[in-house]
Amino acid sequence: MLLNISTIFVKEMRELLKDRRTLVLMIVLPTVVLPLLMFLIISMTKKATEKSATEKVTYVLVGEQNCPDLALAFSQNESFEKVDAQPTENLADLVTNDICKLVVSIPEGAQSDLETGKDTKVVLYFNNASATSRVERRAENVISEFSESIRDGRLIALGFDTSTQRQQLLEPVKAESRSTADLREILGERIGGMLPYFFIIFCFLGSLYPAIDLGAGEKERGTLETLLLTPVPRLHVVLGKFFVVFSTGLISSLMTVASLGVSIMYFGKEAEGVAKQILSSVQTIDLVMILVMLIPIAALFASILLSISIYGKSFKEAQSLATPLNFLCIIPAVLAMVPGVQLDWVWALVPITNVALAIKELAKGTIDYSMLWVILGSSTLIASGFLFFCTQWFQRESVLFRE
Amino acid sequence: MIEVQSLNKSFVNRSKTKSKDKDTREEGKWFHALRDVSFSVPTGSILGLLGPNGAGKTTFMRVLSTALKPTSGTIQVDGVDIAKDPLSVRRRIGFLSGNTGLYGRLTPREMIRYYGTLHGLDKAQLNQTMTLLFDRLEINAFADKRNDHLSAGMKQKVNIARTLIHNPEVIIFDEPTTGLDVKAAEQILRLVEELKTEGRTILFSTHHMHEVERLTDQIVLLNMGTVHFNGNLAQMREKGGDVLLDKAFLNLIGEGERHVA
Repeated sequence: MLLNISTIFVKEMRELLKDRRTLVLMIVLPTVVLPLLMFLIISMTKKATEKSATEKVTYVLVGEQNCPDLALAFSQNESFEKVDAQPTENLADLVTNDICKLVVSIPEGAQSDLETGKDTKVVLYFNNASATSRVERRAENVISEFSESIRDGRLIALGFDTSTQRQQLLEPVKAESRSTADLREILGERIGGMLPYFFIIFCFLGSLYPAIDLGAGEKERGTLETLLLTPVPRLHVVLGKFFVVFSTGLISSLMTVASLGVSIMYFGKEAEGVAKQILSSVQTIDLVMILVMLIPIAALFASILLSISIYGKSFKEAQSLATPLNFLCIIPAVLAMVPGVQLDWVWALVPITNVALAIKELAKGTIDYSMLWVILGSSTLIASGFLFFCTQWFQRESVLFRE
Repeated sequence: MIEVQSLNKSFVNRSKTKSKDKDTREEGKWFHALRDVSFSVPTGSILGLLGPNGAGKTTFMRVLSTALKPTSGTIQVDGVDIAKDPLSVRRRIGFLSGNTGLYGRLTPREMIRYYGTLHGLDKAQLNQTMTLLFDRLEINAFADKRNDHLSAGMKQKVNIARTLIHNPEVIIFDEPTTGLDVKAAEQILRLVEELKTEGRTILFSTHHMHEVERLTDQIVLLNMGTVHFNGNLAQMREKGGDVLLDKAFLNLIGEGERHVA
């Protein structure tokens, strides 16, 4: 039995490795995509943040004469640059037409209101669609500092001479927050859900083409029949083919995890601040556990894809039947990102989603290792069920000789 | 020796033919592809399996080669029942079809080695047989080129080597000259003759009557899944009412259609 299976395995692998499409899907894509994505995200975010931090905010001041002190506060701040422009009827147009990044509109009588102890409202126009935009925060800082100086002046006039007295009046009860979640857990919760998607999709893509080639492809080329006429039981044939598809899926996963590991090592040194802290907190054992989690997933994909492939009359038909299975990767990964969906004993039994949730927990550094055994057990059981189906499916004349 | 007795093969009928176009082989949910087929092929002889397209030839050859299981009836190859011991039968049978493909990314050497290993040949046996076959079929010149870079004739030679690698006693040829030029086709026909002189039993399916005349000792004509004629060339001419085999064949098919109607 082992000789038959290994003979088929070696031949199929040899043939697949001579095929560029397989090599690209199995090795190149998984190796390149994650580091490239990580490089792009880190370098672009860094660039945008630096630009946003150092770039001067151009602003138009409307109603400067209504509060010269506030106008002075903006002009003295080095991160702002005043632009002379005629106010339009709709002040927001100045921002949308890219004349400036910020419009500060001071109402009439603002100066006198402030001098007589009243309040006033300054309207700010800006566009904060960009995640790296700091216009709003910077403008509010200027106004907040200006507002605090007026407030302090009024409190001093009321006899609150020291800053401590003023603090006690304004904020009699203070809260000191101490979250148990570290930075890795917080960010793992927010972005860790995306990781399983990459692992699962590459595992799927790594299996897809070999599965189609080994089933429907052989049928189409007319080689399946000659293989079935050798004195090798069909169970051995299907197992030989299964192990090839399983291996290609696993190799893709290994490449993805390895490229993630190398990226972490490289970008962990290159990155700064928060990114460095997160990247350096990921341990080798976490990556190994992710790979272990993907073993039953690769087996599951191999069984399902091989069953579909052997049913197809041609490569094209098998491809069109198998492609919708992309949802097998997308939906569980999306589920793992849905707020409230957490790894518990119920979700641990749901195939693929359980692995996606476990990978997310590993990314967060909060995995309950006993849960991993449940996930591995249930996933292996389900994958074995599909493999059994695949072996039975492969015995059916109506499937093998479908016309 | 091949012994076919009362062989029937039915499939679940998935075609949606209108009742007026219905094939007489359709019966409820079943399609009877082979019905009560019986004949025998003596050891060392060539049987020509004839019939129009859709007659059931391919189904019969698939059953004989153990790819399909018979619904009822038996086939024995050298005394071994194909349903009871298919693996043993596969060791005795070689199958060559005109449209059998090759593994395009493998070389002839890699591919033949693969089939030899699957047939249980050890390394020494495999090397010896490969050397003999590659010399006999003149494969050495392209033995290490990729199969998808070979001409149709070269590919058919590789397919013959695959068919013969385990030294089968019974060989099934299913339209082996399809798509080949005259020279390549002639090589195949000569090979069939040689294999006969070596004492192998051959089942040869073709649509070319000159191949039938040249090669066969016995002819079985299948039509609508049943045996419509079983005899030698002279008997076929006589029963078909014409010395020209093509015409005799057509007459027999006509007789078959009248018989079915």
